[in-house]
Amino acid sequence: MLMFTFVTKNSSSRHASRLLTCGGPCTVSIMSVFMDLNLIQNQTEDRSGLKSLIETAAHLGFSTVAVNYVFEPTTKKKQNIPSPTPINELIDQLPIVQGRSRPIRVLNRLTIVMSDSSHYRPTAAEYRRFDLLAVYPTTEKLFHAACMTYDVDIICISVTEKLPFFFKRAPVNGAIERGVAFEVSYSAAIRDATMRRYTIANAIALVDTCKGKNVIVSSAAEKRLELRGPHDAANLSLLFGLSDADAKEAVSSTCRSVVLHAERRKSAGGIIHTTKTSPEETPPTPDDRDAPAAKRAKPLETE
Amino acid sequence: MCADLERIPRTLLVSERSSFQNQKNQLSAHVGQHHFNYKVSVLLPECGSAPPLLDAALNGFSSFYLIRNLPVYMLLDQDFLQTAVHQGSVYGLSFGCRVDEDPCVALMPNGRLVLSLDKDSFELLGFERKKYRFTKRATSRYVVSVNFSDSSMTPGGRGYQRLLTGLKTHLPLVVDFLVSHHPGGTTALQPLLSRYDWSEHRPSVSTRCLANLPCPLLTSDLQSCDPHSVLDWLGAVDADVSCENSSSSFLSTMVCPEPKTTASSALNVSVSGFLNPHEIHHLIQELRSYLDQSQLASWVALTVHGFTDSPVSWAGDERSVLWSGNTFYSLLLFKDDTYQLHLATGAHHTCPP
Repeated sequence: MLMFTFVTKNSSSRHASRLLTCGGPCTVSIMSVFMDLNLIQNQTEDRSGLKSLIETAAHLGFSTVAVNYVFEPTTKKKQNIPSPTPINELIDQLPIVQGRSRPIRVLNRLTIVMSDSSHYRPTAAEYRRFDLLAVYPTTEKLFHAACMTYDVDIICISVTEKLPFFFKRAPVNGAIERGVAFEVSYSAAIRDATMRRYTIANAIALVDTCKGKNVIVSSAAEKRLELRGPHDAANLSLLFGLSDADAKEAVSSTCRSVVLHAERRKSAGGIIHTTKTSPEETPPTPDDRDAPAAKRAKPLETE
Repeated sequence: MCADLERIPRTLLVSERSSFQNQKNQLSAHVGQHHFNYKVSVLLPECGSAPPLLDAALNGFSSFYLIRNLPVYMLLDQDFLQTAVHQGSVYGLSFGCRVDEDPCVALMPNGRLVLSLDKDSFELLGFERKKYRFTKRATSRYVVSVNFSDSSMTPGGRGYQRLLTGLKTHLPLVVDFLVSHHPGGTTALQPLLSRYDWSEHRPSVSTRCLANLPCPLLTSDLQSCDPHSVLDWLGAVDADVSCENSSSSFLSTMVCPEPKTTASSALNVSVSGFLNPHEIHHLIQELRSYLDQSQLASWVALTVHGFTDSPVSWAGDERSVLWSGNTFYSLLLFKDDTYQLHLATGAHHTCPP
């Protein structure tokens, strides 16, 4: 039997997917899980640091993490976008998430630090190697462009300095309509007291403008001590002005929306991808009614 | 605008004071409505060891069963409905499922089955849900509640068939299930136990004898001691947290509420497992008779804790999954047949009755 995942480019819906089944037993993917979509890959360090980060994340209860490659293009010399290391080279066996029987899922993410509009190239082939795409705009014009036009999944908010621009309702609402999420990272707040003030102030300004929608909270951790558990991260985001429900969603269902948005972005526009599982005896007829009319088997014509 | 953290409610506490002589006292209703009990802690001041009848009551909680990998559609099995649900009281709760991450299942003695599902599972199941009260955008949790005594939920009814198809084919949920039946035991649960891997468990009892315990002077008047500080103190005693607040200790600043006295000895007994409200009721009666006979003790405290991951709150009403907050109630019994009952729950849960 087949399981369909139908991913749509419906810009007015916040959740970018629906699951349709067509009869027979199906596998259930439990989707309200905790995710941390920002674990910094420090390219100068060896791999053991990242391995211990992923193990800590699994121990804390995160079911999905994303390894973040930060790319900061400068005009002085031409730089190549880093290519992601395949996960099986980083870790032999992915650790099991605490309290579940499944291993942690590791995605690859690219963050482009933009100070000029030429830094983001929509047609670059290198972006396809990553599962998630994020931008970090440093000026108001770039922020507006990122919210309204760029085909990205996440827009990062500055947490280490005073906001260089104010958030306006129009681009923020435009981004929310398109399904793009805003990310607030908390590890800078753990490291330093001044950064803590900037993080909280900037996050409050964001939440004021976007009313708590489409906000994700992630760690941007480089070391395992900078990671916090999902409930702790949700509690911390109460300080940013998020409500109880929004805070919980910021580490679970909004992250899920972002990952599905990324899957949609990588595919052509709308696609059905099917996974064939082992054939079993399917129950007869009732499900045929669900299939669209064109797919019903036509009766054989006999003379 | 800055986040006003003081505004965020964290807990709800309802306190009630009444007497056993009063015909209209609601103690048995409260005890009976708290379906899923994880732990019972009893504090007996001025007591070195429990008398035989009380000891028998504490050790006499009946066993419960853990069924591994039970497909949830089996809870709609006709034999099971006839032998367990419609006769006696059956209590069932999914085990090892976190209420904000996994689908959770609860079966209550009044014949209600509650499924707490996430968005994808709910859409797969294809059954209608109850309106969720605690968030405006109810995208996080979907609660499906059915009552087996409804006409549409009798075997063969429309609702029954739809739910059965949903659980069998669209969403084949499999959970570990804690179940107990009163008064039937294994015979009533035979339809389930005979088909799946199960193990029987007895509630575990632990006893601690405490010497020179500072106790607050409790009277049956609610104004004598602030309920919050009394509950804090009871919790500290149960968790073995020091209440001395000495300057050399940084770990605990808890203190015994004033006015206080010192009990030369006290007994703290905890029973934990999947406990039956009927037996808790029996224990309360035994505690009453112990208090009547005892010369030294003027009060006895009993605290009953619920499960953190139960999908229902008091009396089977809904609970919020945003923050934790298992329900619990504390009963303080006094010599003159009066009692104080404190019912507590987390924020955004249904208020205790």
